[in-house]
Amino acid sequence: MRKSTHMMTALLAGTALALTGCTGGSQTAAQLDLQKEPEYSGTVSILTKFGGDPLEPYFEDLAAEYTKLHPEVSFELIQETDQSIKDKTKTLTASQALPDIYFTWAGNWANNFIDGGLAADLTQAIAPGTEWGSTFGESSLKAFEKDGKYFAVPLYNNGKFMGYNQKVFKDLGLNPPSTLEELISSCSVLRGAGYEPIAFGNKDGWPGLHYLQQLFAYEVPAEALEADFHPETAKLDDPGYLRAMQQFTGLINECTGSGKDSNGVLYTSAQQALATGTAGMYYQEVLEFDTTASEGSQLKNDGLGIFKLPASAAAKGDTKAIEGSPEGYLINPKSKNAALAVDFMKFATSKENATKLSAPPYGQPSAVKGVVSEQNSTGPVVEGIKQVNEASEAIIWLDSVTVPDVADAWLAGGEALVAGSQSPQQVLDAVRSASNAAK
Amino acid sequence: MRKAARWRNLVWVLPAVLLLCVFCYLPLVQNLGFSLLKWDIYSGRQAFVGADNYVKMVNDPIFWKSLLNNTLYAGISIIFQVFGALVLAALVEGLPSSRWRGTLRAIYFVPSAISLTVAGLLFYFIYEPRMGILNAALETLGLGNFAQAWLGQENTAIFGIIAMSQWQGFGYCTLLFAVALQRIPSELFEAASIDGVGPVRRFFSVSLPLVREMSSLMMIVTVSGAFQVFNEVMVMTTGGPNNSSQVLGTWLYRSGFVRNDFGYAAAIATAVFVITLVLAVLQLWLARRRRVEW
Repeated sequence: MRKSTHMMTALLAGTALALTGCTGGSQTAAQLDLQKEPEYSGTVSILTKFGGDPLEPYFEDLAAEYTKLHPEVSFELIQETDQSIKDKTKTLTASQALPDIYFTWAGNWANNFIDGGLAADLTQAIAPGTEWGSTFGESSLKAFEKDGKYFAVPLYNNGKFMGYNQKVFKDLGLNPPSTLEELISSCSVLRGAGYEPIAFGNKDGWPGLHYLQQLFAYEVPAEALEADFHPETAKLDDPGYLRAMQQFTGLINECTGSGKDSNGVLYTSAQQALATGTAGMYYQEVLEFDTTASEGSQLKNDGLGIFKLPASAAAKGDTKAIEGSPEGYLINPKSKNAALAVDFMKFATSKENATKLSAPPYGQPSAVKGVVSEQNSTGPVVEGIKQVNEASEAIIWLDSVTVPDVADAWLAGGEALVAGSQSPQQVLDAVRSASNAAK
Repeated sequence: MRKAARWRNLVWVLPAVLLLCVFCYLPLVQNLGFSLLKWDIYSGRQAFVGADNYVKMVNDPIFWKSLLNNTLYAGISIIFQVFGALVLAALVEGLPSSRWRGTLRAIYFVPSAISLTVAGLLFYFIYEPRMGILNAALETLGLGNFAQAWLGQENTAIFGIIAMSQWQGFGYCTLLFAVALQRIPSELFEAASIDGVGPVRRFFSVSLPLVREMSSLMMIVTVSGAFQVFNEVMVMTTGGPNNSSQVLGTWLYRSGFVRNDFGYAAAIATAVFVITLVLAVLQLWLARRRRVEW
C-alpha cells in the first residue's frame, strides 16, 4: 500500500513537472529596427540547404568574404541537404534553438514560422519598392508575403521541367511535345530505340508528388485548387483530381523504365540515367540542371533541352501555370544579431554574389533581377527561369503548400498510384479524409 | 556501524541513480506528460487534451499496421536470431577443429560489426530493382520470374527489411550462444555420449535446457529490439511505400517531425515503452520460473 502511494506520488509529481510547460507559448517577436546600423561583431549562425557537393562551398566562401570585410564577425554554418533540413529545422524549432538565419520553402512551411512568431518582419527592408526589395523580382518576394508583410529573403527561383537529351531526340526525329498525349506517344519511339523514355525514381515519394501537383494545376481550376490546399475551405471534389491521377499512372506505366517498381528506385538513379544518356527524359527542377548536365557528362555533350510537362489537350485548369517557387531565408526575430543577419543577407544577394550563385557549378538561379543571363548561367537555366517568369502562376510543391497531414496523405497516395495498389478514387478519398481530420 | 555502511553505499550509488533519473526516468515521465498535450512547436503553445492522443492512436490504422510489422519483426527475429542462432552455435561448437570454430565465429560475427545505417544502405542497393544483385542473381539462376522491387512493393518491403536485420543480428546471437554452450561442463556431453545419445537428442536434452538463461536474455533483447527498430527502416524505405513498412519507431518519428503532431508522437512513444516493458517483465518472469541449476 505504502509502495503504491509512493509510486503514485512520484508519477503525479513527474507529470506535474512535465506539464509545467503547458501554459507556455512564444511571445510575439519584438519588431526589429532594420534601419539601425548593425554592429559588426559577434557570431552569426546560419542553417542552409547547401549541404554536399557542389553547393557546400557557396556559403562557406560568402562567410569568409564577409569576415574579410568585417573581421570581428564570425559564422557558424549548419549545412544540410534537401532531405535532412526538414528534421534539423524542426528539432531546432522544438528546442527553441533556431539560428539567426535559416532556410525556408514557400507555402505552409514558411507560414508555420511566420504564424509562430519565429520569422522577423522584413517589410521595412525588403518590401517591393524599398531599395533592397527593388533588386528582386516581385513574384519572388510575394511568395513569402503574408497579410501584407514580407518575411523572407528569396535566394533563388525554381521550377520543374522535363529535361531531355537533345541529341537522342534529334536522332529519333522527335520534337518537344506540346500535349501530354504527344509526350506519351514519343515514349514508345524512345523505348523502341532502346532508351528508357522517362527516368523516374520514387523511393522518397516526393518525385511522384511533383508530377501530381503540376497535373492538378492543369486539370483542376485554380480557385478550387487553392481552396483545397487549406483544410478549412477544402472540398477536394473536382473531377480534375481523378483525371490528373489517371494521367499520372498512364505516364508511369507507359513512359518510365521502372514503372510499378519505381518506389524502389532512388531519384538520383533516375537523374543519373539522363546524365549518362541511357534515358531520354527526366522531370527535374531548375536547381538540378547544372548537376544533371555537369561538365564531362554524356548529357553535357549531347545537350540538355527542357520543356514544361505538357498538359492534356482537354485540360480544364490553368495550363500556363508552372510548378515551383522561390526558396528563401528567414531571420530569427529573437536573434541578438538580427541586424547583422539582415546585412549578411544583403551581401549574399548583392549582384556579384547572386551572379556567382546562378553560374555553374551551383546553378541556383538567383531571385535577384537581371542576374540570370547567358553570360553567367547555362542555357537551360536561363530558359527555365524565363519560362518561370512568364508562367501565369507558380504552383508551390504539394508537400509544402498544404498542411502536413494532407501532404502526407498525398505522399502515401502517390506511392500507391505508382505501385498500382490503389485507384485514384481511393487515393482521393484518403486525402479528403485527412483534410477533414485536419480542419 | 551497519547504518554508516548503508549510508556509505548510498553515497556511492547516488551519482548513478541521479544520472539515471535525469536521463532516463525524467524523460519517461515528461513524455507521458507530452502525450496528454496538443503541442504546436512553432508557437510553443501546448494545450492539455487528456487522452485524445491515445484515442486517436487506437483509431489510427497506420498505428496498427506499424504494431503488426513490429510483431512480425519480433516473431521472425525469435525464429532466426534466437532459435536459428542457437542451432548454428551448437553446430559450430560441435566441430572438432578449433581453427574452423574460430574462423566460422568470426565470419558470422562480421555483419554485426557493420553499422545499421551502412547495412541498410548496402541492402538497399542489393534490393534495387534494376541494378541490385539480388534480382541479377535470380535472373542468372533462371528464376527471373521472382525478380521484383523488393523494397518498392507494399507486400514485400517489410520482409526485405526484416531479412537484412536477421542477416545483421544473426552472428552476434550465434556468438553469445557459443559462449553459453562453452560454459556447459563437457562431462555432461560425455555422459550423454556414453549413454548413446545422438547429436540431435543431445542438443534438445543437454544444450537447450542449459542455455535457457541465455535464450531468455536473447529473447528479451531481440523482442525489445524488434519493437524499437528504426534506423534500417528509415534508411531503406522510410516506412513506405504507402506506409506498408511503417513500424512504431518510424510512425512516431513521422507523426512528430513530418506531421508536426508531437503530442501524438509522445503517445506512440508511451505505447512502445509499455509494450517493451510488459514483454520484458513477462519474459524475465518466465525465465526465472524455468531456471536450471547445475
